[in-house]
Amino acid sequence: MIELKNVSRHFGNTIAVDGVNLTIETGEVCVLVGSSGCGKSTTLRMINRLLPYSAGEILVDGEDITTMNPEQLRLNMGYVIQGTGLFPHWTVARNIAMVPTLLNWPRERINARVDELMTLLDLDPSAHANKYPQQLSGGQAQRVGVARALAADPNILLMDEPFGALDAITRENLQLEMLRIQKQVRKTTVFVTHDIDEALKLATRIAVMDQGRIIQHDTPENILRHPASDFVENLIGKQDRGLKLMSLRPVRDLMANHTEPRQSEPGEHVLREEDSVRLALSVMLWQDLRQVAVFNAQEQETGVITRERIIQEGV
Amino acid sequence: MSITEPLRHTVPNRVIPVLGVLALALVWLLDLGTIQPNRIVPGTGHGLLSALGWTGAGLVTGVLLATTVLSMVPVRRRYELLLGLIGLSLATMPLLLDVFAALHLPEGSPYARSSVGAGFWSLLFLLSLMLIETLGRLSARRWLQLMLLVFVGGSWLVFLRGEGLESLSLVREFNARPDKFQQALWTHLALALGAVAISAGLAFALALKMIRSPAWQRPLLGAVSFLQTIPSLAVFGLLIAPLSALSSALPFLQDLGIRGIGWAPALLALIAYSLLPMVRNTFVAITEVPESLADAARGMGMNEHQVFFQLKLPLALPVIIEGVRITTIQAIGLTAVAALIGAGGFGGFIFQGLGQAAMDLVLLGALPTIALALLADALLTMLAASLKPTPATA
Amino acid sequence: MRVWLPATLLASLLLALSAGMPVLEPLFNWVQPGKQQVIYERESFLFLLQNHLMLVVVSAAVGTLVAVAGGIFVTRPFGRDFLPLVGQVASIGQTFPPVAVLALAVPVLGFGEAPILLALVLYGLLPILRNTLAGLEGIDPSVREAALGMGMSPVLVLVRVELPLAGRVILAGIRTSVTINIATAAIGSTIGARTLGDPVIAGLVNGNTAYVLQGAILIGLLALTTDSLFEALERSWDRRLQSVGV
Repeated sequence: MIELKNVSRHFGNTIAVDGVNLTIETGEVCVLVGSSGCGKSTTLRMINRLLPYSAGEILVDGEDITTMNPEQLRLNMGYVIQGTGLFPHWTVARNIAMVPTLLNWPRERINARVDELMTLLDLDPSAHANKYPQQLSGGQAQRVGVARALAADPNILLMDEPFGALDAITRENLQLEMLRIQKQVRKTTVFVTHDIDEALKLATRIAVMDQGRIIQHDTPENILRHPASDFVENLIGKQDRGLKLMSLRPVRDLMANHTEPRQSEPGEHVLREEDSVRLALSVMLWQDLRQVAVFNAQEQETGVITRERIIQEGV
Repeated sequence: MSITEPLRHTVPNRVIPVLGVLALALVWLLDLGTIQPNRIVPGTGHGLLSALGWTGAGLVTGVLLATTVLSMVPVRRRYELLLGLIGLSLATMPLLLDVFAALHLPEGSPYARSSVGAGFWSLLFLLSLMLIETLGRLSARRWLQLMLLVFVGGSWLVFLRGEGLESLSLVREFNARPDKFQQALWTHLALALGAVAISAGLAFALALKMIRSPAWQRPLLGAVSFLQTIPSLAVFGLLIAPLSALSSALPFLQDLGIRGIGWAPALLALIAYSLLPMVRNTFVAITEVPESLADAARGMGMNEHQVFFQLKLPLALPVIIEGVRITTIQAIGLTAVAALIGAGGFGGFIFQGLGQAAMDLVLLGALPTIALALLADALLTMLAASLKPTPATA
Repeated sequence: MRVWLPATLLASLLLALSAGMPVLEPLFNWVQPGKQQVIYERESFLFLLQNHLMLVVVSAAVGTLVAVAGGIFVTRPFGRDFLPLVGQVASIGQTFPPVAVLALAVPVLGFGEAPILLALVLYGLLPILRNTLAGLEGIDPSVREAALGMGMSPVLVLVRVELPLAGRVILAGIRTSVTINIATAAIGSTIGARTLGDPVIAGLVNGNTAYVLQGAILIGLLALTTDSLFEALERSWDRRLQSVGV
């Protein structure tokens, strides 16, 4: 658990962060979102003491971080940044092994861990382990960046616009990847982005920041339904709030279940229980259907979702 | 995030105090100047207090303390004040020597001379560093820097030509041979600038050749960088034998003054040395103009001739001038070495002085060489900056 | 190992010529007819070579140490105030002609090896300092940030990340410095340092072209040997790290 209590940072007359109170529960993904210069990166970098703060206190699992050795603190926090920050003179494997090496793990354990992480991030160890970072594509390099952050199994993951420099398709893939991995490893994550859609997709709770303050801290659904101010309302986009809410909701919530799963041929583009209501509606509009069959992971048809129900209860 | 502009004046400077304290220590510990009864006999050194008396020593100490304190207190326009104080101190430094000579030079001994001591040099050096630091903090404009240079340099010239410093050994050496000095200056300039001009023409042709036929790139660049690797003394030495053989075989060359030693091998060697920086910069400058720009120009209907002269050359010019700057500085230094093979120039004074153990003659050669190099550097840097097609962003 | 071949060959040639110059006596007789002595014998060439090398190596070692330490100091948080001044001095200093620096060292320290060593160290320091600054400042800031953020101590970041990444540029600075210093040390003969410049100066004074040639050839060979040594060093560095860095 990370707690920020009345944390401020200023130099001279400039206030970068202004009395921030924020509690990030263990295992949740807290996304700090806001326009550039709002203090979100500064807040993140104060948590691992890359930046000092002028007032307030930050506690990690109840302990004041200023009482800890900064290196020890950071070794227990994975850190992923936009430019990847991979060491260009080290191979991929050595980059991932960085923190375990600093912690003096035995060689075999490090090698096993590197293989495990590369596989987890969908990178083939035999093909990529001995490459240098500049021989990778942007998406691959950022996967290595995430793998490096997870290497020593830290409790906390700090991510500073990790996918900001990637193209739309690669970004989407990595976001899905992150959701999948987060389900497996459950790290307490602080994630900084300026992209509200990314925030809505990844967050357990979102903290909207503006001019060094937190304007609203709530779940994605509550942020969409009850924006605290005009600023938040503009950020989430007044008009397409409806569709955004639909994309938060899985089909499972609105489908009519069959009494027994049925065996049938799923076809190529099939709707699944965990897909969003928004996707279901889109499929119906495009194929001009009134209802669509829903499948589970075992390729069984478990129910149907109707256009009528979506219109009535989707948002 | 960096410290914002309005705060500049409230942050104490840590560099100038360090320099100031160092200058105070050195100026009090080392000899400010020496008095020699004549050119040969070693002189007696005088420390700051002995050299200038309480008034002078107090003034120097006061100025150094003032800069130190001023750099640390949060006053508005602090750096402007510092610039004025340091600039004025630098400009009036010869006055110290003036006072020193007036206080200590025995009356009616025409051979007695005063010379500059390590303390004076240290003060000059550290004040210059403070000036550079202050100009940097002010991010001063080029013309302001140049004006300051002209002000300080001009003031030194006036003092050196004045009567008070006639006893200064450097001035004595100069007064003993004003014609030779002038001749050395012209020879030095002619050799260095001649080599730069010829090599600039050659390099331009070579660079164009390399652009047109890429197969020439490696061998040509290899050849010119090979030339640059060979030490100057060796090149001068290696040119003596073939040139003297050539001139004894072809008598008309002798009439032109081309011999194994003298200006001919010097000029040849200087040109050879100048080729690398010239060719490399010219080539890189022209090839680095983005091809997308050239394509755009062609697409708008420019022909190759127009693309080269209206687009590529203007954009490449600052980098080419940078090549000329490097080459000129290098040539000024190497011309001094060329005095060893009888080419003349300021190097003549240096080596003659070293031969006679006359240190002031060495200075008479070395200081103008340095001054020429610094001047060339300043002028060509300004030229390159003014030729930048787009204003530099902050 | 092929990268080391030119350096080895040139070094062998240099040693062979230094040791066996008298073998070429007939050749120099032809170059310089009418002189009783055509081979420089005041000092053995091997001794001059050794002395010349010693001056260059010592000044390069001291210069590298001081320049890299200085470059590190001004790029740390506690020394950053000095960065602009040091950077300026490194570039302005290089406009001072080496001969002039050499000449100015004499009034301070007198004749002999001490002033030349001082001049070589001071002058040789500048290109190394400049390249150290360029190398350290040229590192992608995100690399340093990531290293710190992952828990490396600042010392470890310097040793494991910054210096290896800047190393190639620093090496290029040392190469420039050594090239200049070989030439300046040769001129040092005029202020009483015993180097391969001696035969050249003696030959110029006595009008003996054979002496001049012997000195010039050996100085040229020394410069080429050293340069190809650095070339090989840089190549093998590049090969080890493939296309890393620049």
